[in-house]
Amino acid sequence: MTVKVPPSFEKAIPGQFVMVRQEGNTTPFLSRPFSIYSVYPHGDEIFLEIFYKAVGKGTEALSRLREGNFLNILGPLGRGFDLPPSFGKIVLIAGGIGIPPLSFLAQRCSEENHGAEIVCYLGAANAEMLAGLDRLKGICSAVEISTDDGSRGYHGPVTKLFQRDMGRYAGDDVRIYACGPRPMLKALQGFLKDRPGVCQISLEERMACGIGACLGCVVRTRSDGGELVRVCKEGPVFDIGDIDFEE
Amino acid sequence: MKVKMGVDIGGLTLKNPVMSASGTFGYGEEYAGYLDLNRLGAIVVKGLSLSPREGNPPPRVVETASGMLNAVGLQNVGVEEFIDKKLPYLRTIETAVVANIFGESVDEYVKVAEILEGAEGLDALEVNISCPNVKKGGITFGSDPILAGEVTRAVKGVSRLPVIVKLTPNVTDITKIAASVEDAGADALSLINTLTGMSIDIEKRVPHLRNITGGLSGPAIKPVALRMVWETVGAVSIPVIGVGGIMNASDALEFLIAGARAVQVGTANFINPSAAADIVDGIERYLSDTNLDDINGLIGTLRV
Repeated sequence: MTVKVPPSFEKAIPGQFVMVRQEGNTTPFLSRPFSIYSVYPHGDEIFLEIFYKAVGKGTEALSRLREGNFLNILGPLGRGFDLPPSFGKIVLIAGGIGIPPLSFLAQRCSEENHGAEIVCYLGAANAEMLAGLDRLKGICSAVEISTDDGSRGYHGPVTKLFQRDMGRYAGDDVRIYACGPRPMLKALQGFLKDRPGVCQISLEERMACGIGACLGCVVRTRSDGGELVRVCKEGPVFDIGDIDFEE
Repeated sequence: MKVKMGVDIGGLTLKNPVMSASGTFGYGEEYAGYLDLNRLGAIVVKGLSLSPREGNPPPRVVETASGMLNAVGLQNVGVEEFIDKKLPYLRTIETAVVANIFGESVDEYVKVAEILEGAEGLDALEVNISCPNVKKGGITFGSDPILAGEVTRAVKGVSRLPVIVKLTPNVTDITKIAASVEDAGADALSLINTLTGMSIDIEKRVPHLRNITGGLSGPAIKPVALRMVWETVGAVSIPVIGVGGIMNASDALEFLIAGARAVQVGTANFINPSAAADIVDGIERYLSDTNLDDINGLIGTLRV
């Protein structure tokens, strides 16, 4: 979905998100959080894109909107990705509907003539669910696909596909960015445990306010004391090593 | 015509009757970028305990029809860190600051209140009695008139600030609790806290909340809150602050007409961070439109 937004959204960093709702409705009640898929100028105007699957009341309501309708959008919110150093290698690993923030990151890197080689590993349940593929092909030097049912690409989870190729990404100039279901991120955390700082992830969690006040969206960290942090405020981007996936 | 919006809540003077509800506004600073905090009558901060508290494991929030359940579990930085790290910012704004406090025993409530006595920048205490009394087998303070009175008396005994007691609706007759708390010396009451509720994931066949149950808030509870406020106003002489599902000025006006001296805005802040300021504006507009020059001319004017 593309929305015309005020210029204040131009400062959005990949990894940040927005809270979206329709004015005046109590169903759905809470705003829905969406990672920013893209922000771009077109003429004098600024556009923001989100990418979602209609899975519940909130997303179904959004899918019924038409051109000319209005939305309330709060953002950009949260901590975004640290842009990688120039001229290195960037690896994106996306599972399920995890592609939007990574696609935005890839877009920014390529816009800024970054010079880095971008490889994307995209996994989905089946070929129909491979989200955002065309855009990625335009930006990345390579897109590796996996499907759980084998209907396209590698037959198996995207983590296994990445693991097969991991040897190529051992250099210091590599940065890895991942977004997807918790089990995927937990597996990745295991593969990368000896490489602190190499990988950032974007997390999602049920949220009410999106601005750090309600404390609904906390996750546990692996710091001393196992501090709780807010996905909406201290995240959604975290170093992969910081998060406790056990809880 | 400039309408007068000032109200007195048992010794706490507010520039207007709109306060933030505890637990929905952090420690104030979280909202500084979204509205002018000086527009509010008061900021009621997140509930403070003697020691920092982590709260419950996630998932902690889930949407329900016209509302939400929360089982955050009273996560807070603890009263000492509040004074050191959060109160300094609140001293820089002109709006009244109310510290919400809670404990697991009467002693704990007293200790928190005593520590806050020494702090500069507070205008009142709000005592959350929806907590289980671990010394009496976990029965909620607020569900027993005697325990509710005991904790009120104890906090009142150590505090020079006005003491507002926040009541739980999860009782058979809230007016009994209200009367007991009034007798024990409370300067004002705020009601209601959340209603205990539950929501189930039918795919996974587990509760949506890790804690199983949580507190229901939002428009769904407004009729219950309003009824309890109206009943309580009829049962006590001290000021009553109305809380529960207030999303806009019209909702707030219902509570004021029912007899609430002030209102608190909670869940609405999650939907619209400037909700409380919008509500102040809306109340002013209503008074102006109905040719009332003072909010006190509206309070308690319900015709039954």
